[in-house]
Amino acid sequence: MAPNPRKRKAVTRDVPAASNSEEELADGLLDGILSHSEGESDADHEEDAESDTSSVIEGLSDEDEEDEEDGAAFSDTDPKDGEGDIREQMRKLTTRDATVRLSGVDHALDRDSRPLADGELDEQDDESLQRNYTVTTDANGNPRYLYREIDPVYESDDSDAPETTNTIGNIPLTYYDEYPHIGYDINGKKIQRPAKGEALDALLDQIDIPKGWTGLTDPATGKPLNLSEEELDVLKRLTRNEVVEDGYDPYPEMVHYFSGKLEVMPLSAAPEPKRRFVPSKHEAKRVMKIVKAIREGRIQPYKPPSEEEEEEERVYYDVWADEKPRPENSMHLAAPKLPPPGYDASYHPPREYLPDKNEEAAWLAADEEDREKDYLPKNYEALRKVPGYERFVKERFERSLDLYLAPRVRRNKLNIDPESLLPKLPNPEDLKPFPTTCAAIFRGQEGRVRSVSFDPQGIFVASGGDDGYVRIWELLTGRQVWNVKLSDEDAVDAVKWRPTKDASILAAAAGESVYLIVPYSILSPDVEQASRDILDAGWGYAASKPSTTTNGVTKEPPGKWARPGGKFESKGVLVQATVRSMVKIINWHRKGDYFATVSPRGQSSAVAIHTLSKHLTQLPFRRLKGIAQTAQFHPSKAIFFVATRNTIRSYDLAKQELVKILQPGAKWISSIDVHPGGDNIIVGTYDKRLLWHDLDLSTKPYKTLRFHQEAIRAVRFHQGGLPLFADASDDGSLQIFHGKVVGDLMENATIVPLKVLKGHKVKSRLGVMDVDWHPREPWCVSAGADGTCRLWN
Amino acid sequence: MAKIQKKGNSGAAKNYITRTRAVKKLQISLPDFRRLCIFKGIYPREPRKKKKVSKGSTAATTFYYTKDIQYLLHEPLLAKFREHKAVAKKIAKALGRGEAGDAARLEKNLAPKIKLDHIIKERYPTFTDALRDLDDALSMLFLFANLPSSQHVPAKTIALCQKLCHEFEHYVITSHSLRRSFLSIKGIYYQATIQGQDVLWLVPYRFVQRTGGDIDFRIMGTFVEFYTTLLGFVNYRLYTSIGLVYPPKFNADLDAQGAELSAFQIEGKSVATNGDASHGDVSATANPEAQAVADRIAAAPIAEEEQPDTAQAVQAVEDENTETIDKFEAVAPDADVLPQPSASSAEVASLFAPYTIYLSRETPRAPLEFILKAFGCKRVGWDSTLGDGAFTSNESDASITHQIVDRTSISSEEAPEIVDGAAPKVQWPRSTMPGRTYVQPQWVWDCINQGKLLRPDLYAPGAELPPHLSPWVKAKKGEYDPNLPLQAQELEGEAEAFEDEEEVASEAEEASEDADDADDAMESDASVEAGEGMQVDGSDDEEDVDDDEPQVAADDFEGFDSDAESDVSEGEAARLQHQRELEAEATGKKLEPEVETTKSKNAAVRKKAEKKRKEEQEERDRQKMMLSNKKRKLLKRIEYGSNKRDAEAESLRRKKRRLDKAKAASEAV
Repeated sequence: MAPNPRKRKAVTRDVPAASNSEEELADGLLDGILSHSEGESDADHEEDAESDTSSVIEGLSDEDEEDEEDGAAFSDTDPKDGEGDIREQMRKLTTRDATVRLSGVDHALDRDSRPLADGELDEQDDESLQRNYTVTTDANGNPRYLYREIDPVYESDDSDAPETTNTIGNIPLTYYDEYPHIGYDINGKKIQRPAKGEALDALLDQIDIPKGWTGLTDPATGKPLNLSEEELDVLKRLTRNEVVEDGYDPYPEMVHYFSGKLEVMPLSAAPEPKRRFVPSKHEAKRVMKIVKAIREGRIQPYKPPSEEEEEEERVYYDVWADEKPRPENSMHLAAPKLPPPGYDASYHPPREYLPDKNEEAAWLAADEEDREKDYLPKNYEALRKVPGYERFVKERFERSLDLYLAPRVRRNKLNIDPESLLPKLPNPEDLKPFPTTCAAIFRGQEGRVRSVSFDPQGIFVASGGDDGYVRIWELLTGRQVWNVKLSDEDAVDAVKWRPTKDASILAAAAGESVYLIVPYSILSPDVEQASRDILDAGWGYAASKPSTTTNGVTKEPPGKWARPGGKFESKGVLVQATVRSMVKIINWHRKGDYFATVSPRGQSSAVAIHTLSKHLTQLPFRRLKGIAQTAQFHPSKAIFFVATRNTIRSYDLAKQELVKILQPGAKWISSIDVHPGGDNIIVGTYDKRLLWHDLDLSTKPYKTLRFHQEAIRAVRFHQGGLPLFADASDDGSLQIFHGKVVGDLMENATIVPLKVLKGHKVKSRLGVMDVDWHPREPWCVSAGADGTCRLWN
Repeated sequence: MAKIQKKGNSGAAKNYITRTRAVKKLQISLPDFRRLCIFKGIYPREPRKKKKVSKGSTAATTFYYTKDIQYLLHEPLLAKFREHKAVAKKIAKALGRGEAGDAARLEKNLAPKIKLDHIIKERYPTFTDALRDLDDALSMLFLFANLPSSQHVPAKTIALCQKLCHEFEHYVITSHSLRRSFLSIKGIYYQATIQGQDVLWLVPYRFVQRTGGDIDFRIMGTFVEFYTTLLGFVNYRLYTSIGLVYPPKFNADLDAQGAELSAFQIEGKSVATNGDASHGDVSATANPEAQAVADRIAAAPIAEEEQPDTAQAVQAVEDENTETIDKFEAVAPDADVLPQPSASSAEVASLFAPYTIYLSRETPRAPLEFILKAFGCKRVGWDSTLGDGAFTSNESDASITHQIVDRTSISSEEAPEIVDGAAPKVQWPRSTMPGRTYVQPQWVWDCINQGKLLRPDLYAPGAELPPHLSPWVKAKKGEYDPNLPLQAQELEGEAEAFEDEEEVASEAEEASEDADDADDAMESDASVEAGEGMQVDGSDDEEDVDDDEPQVAADDFEGFDSDAESDVSEGEAARLQHQRELEAEATGKKLEPEVETTKSKNAAVRKKAEKKRKEEQEERDRQKMMLSNKKRKLLKRIEYGSNKRDAEAESLRRKKRRLDKAKAASEAV
């Protein structure tokens, strides 16, 4: 298919339209000359075309003949067209030189990428064959030649530059898929897409793949790129790494030009040179030299060196002839020696050193690195039965590794007598007396006993609990001597005796009320009378001096003092003071004229100070930081301690100012107690800690004691001069400590744990609720959640 | 204003260098660096503040002193290593071309020879330093002397090791400086005192060593290379110090016949005698004296210190020139007792001197020969199968006084009759020679460790040997000592507790009638009992619980007598007793007195001991409670060791008691 249009084009294209006129004219003249040499030039041209094709398709020399045949075949099939064309061409070619012709053919070959343009070009050619002017008559009647415009045909002479017919450049042809054209030629004309077969044709093409089908599209033509048989054969040879040329023999038979065979016709006819058969003088000289050397013994005959000779002798001498000790400042650490073997490393150790079954199993099961000893003691009755130690080399190797890999550190061995570390504690015998055993159990309460208190004489114990009763017990007998039910719904949260001995007044808190009680029938008459007098002294004081604000409106007093009523009064409950919220704690001032109540729920009225002689209630703090837990008077000064959850603040009541803030570091303080000396505070916390604060020392605790498993509910110093304190915890135990405070400021307090008192049962995670000391004796009484009180002595 | 110091430019950061940086600085490969470190004795250091050194990183790193590495830069060995590297390249090239002959020639002629002489002097400035570091060298060389040659261990090295070891042994024999030896399961330990330094080394039993696993013989080979050099120089010095020629003459023919020690011929420097060393003909008369002098010098400070204190105590010695050390007796009982060498070297040197000892062929010849000769025995014979060089290989030699055998005796009936009229061969165990003592090898070791000849009947062939004890263990306070009777060591009430417990165990055994179950019970008892000092009684469970959780126990406070109940119960018991008496009195009956069984007595003793112990413990706990946290931790650390020691001793005592009991039971049966 290809050769025919190529040839046609070659013919058509190479005709320069403008230069035609003379040639046209000359055509006729030269016709005769050309006509007789036509066959030859034709053949000539054929040859040219051939060589060109061979240059285009490199190395396809085999194809040539076929190509020619193809061409011949085409010219046969289309004789009229082809012959005419060729004639035309031959006519023009005569005027050009050979190179131009060649290039022209070249162009023609290139041009066949523009098959669509063929039609146009053919037309043009047809026109160019006619005259390019028309003859008209001018005004004078003379003929006038009207020439058509000349087409310059710029590209025609440009034979050096490679001609690209499609000028789209280096972009994929797929960009033009949507368009009818596939690019532009040099004139900016669209190059139309070559006509493709119908869809059915495409399908058919796919079904029977023609020989040489590659599936590729020739980017230059846009036609499917097919390879001919020859081309395929070439490719096949290339892939086999064979020489492409046909019939090439890579291993031709060797021709022995120079061989031992005497040729009839030798290559060189020169006679044999002399040096071939005369011995060399020079060599003889050299040999003689060597012979002489051997004779003189300068050259020894070769003898393989024996082993002994090879082994160079080690020379030893006294290295330490002038020894100098290592300088003192040397950082050298000698490698530690391995410890000598112990009894159990013996081949026949005492029997007790042999491991029993368990130990052996444990040793075998342990990881090699975890084993304390790297061997298992074994017993052999006789030396002949001892086997080799299988880890011997390994142990030596590990030692070597240690010697050069392990960092050496000089460690100081602890050579301290452990006894010297232990503090000298006072002998427990010297610390006596302190409570050790449970002496009496007060039974009879229902529910928990929440509070317990000794009376100042040390005869009675008062207790209050969940059942709403206040009970008074005789200490020595354990008998209940008096009781009153203060409330039906509220528990008695606190009971506290007034701390002076002249009168016997018990303060008890139930709900929002504080009751002041003079228990009838158990006191001596004069004490009873004195107590009544003290309580009665304040009646009417509040009424005579009502507290009014500046604008005259009567402010609601923080506490209401009233008589509780007939039934109570017959029992001895004489005064009822009601505050705004539930009272949890009562603490008396040492003189007995004031007492403080704490009701943690009442925000601004949480802490109240009550004056007994005036029946007056005051709220010392307008606003308190944090929730008040407990409050206490200083035993000798006008100082008032208020404990919130995290801190303890001490206020000077006379100057009305904050003195100190203690930070025990506790999460939730449960109770505090001030040492009778006034300089030390113990703090019990719900987070299981007991803290000793020395007020002179720091705001941080001096000692933190953590001996309880559960929260500490109450702490109490002994008030009667014994250096004891106790705490009560939810784990059901009390702990008694010796806490000696020396007047000397230089010496810190001594705290010695003494005793754990166990006996209270833990009920619903509550153990001992409260503890109180006897005013004189080393006895204490505890209130338990199990409904009992216990006396310990 | 002072210039701000940049971090990492001075101090610890500059004093230490990581291994990687050291290798880079020296521009050698890691294996070469390793060799260099082994030769030069450079080891990593542990900086006190690691973070400062490693500039904040906490990754595990090896640090060396920068100064150490700096010194290495000038090391002549480094140049040798580089030369070696160059030659190695040439050889590799030759081999690559297939020129094996060239490679061999290059290796032979160009490979640099490494000499370590200067390093020996550098690492051990004084001879004493070298002796102090001889333990590892000897152990390693003795091991290599006993290894088979292999790809990693050339035969030449082994031969060298053997030679050096035998030379060293010859010195020890000649100078009589061997002090102790011990047969352990690992091998045989020897201890010699050379110029006042104790040298302890371990020699493996002669079996094929297991060398598999991850053992790098290149590292061991480097060590051996260094140690051979060291021991060579040490031997030279030792030999010359006692007037011997070094190296001794080595008879290869004798060695080939297994003469070992006897293959060497020791010669004095001045008077060159040609006597065979094995026969003890060495003119080493001066040598023990030299050793004795050395020993005396070593012991001198002790004696001098003691001199003024107990001047009166020293008895007037007539001849002050005697070699022996005088015995110092303290006059006043409260004086401190100073350790004194018990036997002089001369005595030790002649322990086996008067005897001719024959080694049967089943005994290990090398160690026995070495020890016997080191302790003065000049005539050691052995069976000819054990090798050449024996004093006599004739077992029926009349001069033999002792024969060391390691075979069970055959009763006369079993002994096959020698029918043919061959000469009566005296051969253990078929017959014995009159006047000859037959002992097991252990006898030799026990004798030298105790410095005196022991009763040979305990070590008779076939007899059950007494335990072989390590001579280096000095029992400290609280540790178990197998030499002392059990009664002297146990705590108060411990034996009784044990007896009770055993009874319980035996009862359990009877009840179950199942041996296995009983065994388990015993075992479980043992495991509970492992911690002595804890309560055995079940009454105070809380204590045990506390012991299980030490942290709680430390902070816990139990008061003085937490067992108030037990006190109460005791009082209660007394009251009950009284009540019973009263009732008996009222009814007129006679109350039979409670029979004091051994059990109750035991219980009483035990209870008392326990109570006492508990009280002490409580007191201690109370004291501990008042300690600061820091001190408490310190105390805990101190107590950890002592507790461990106590537990160990207790378990040993327990085992011993059980064994004793079993033995008594078997004897009773």
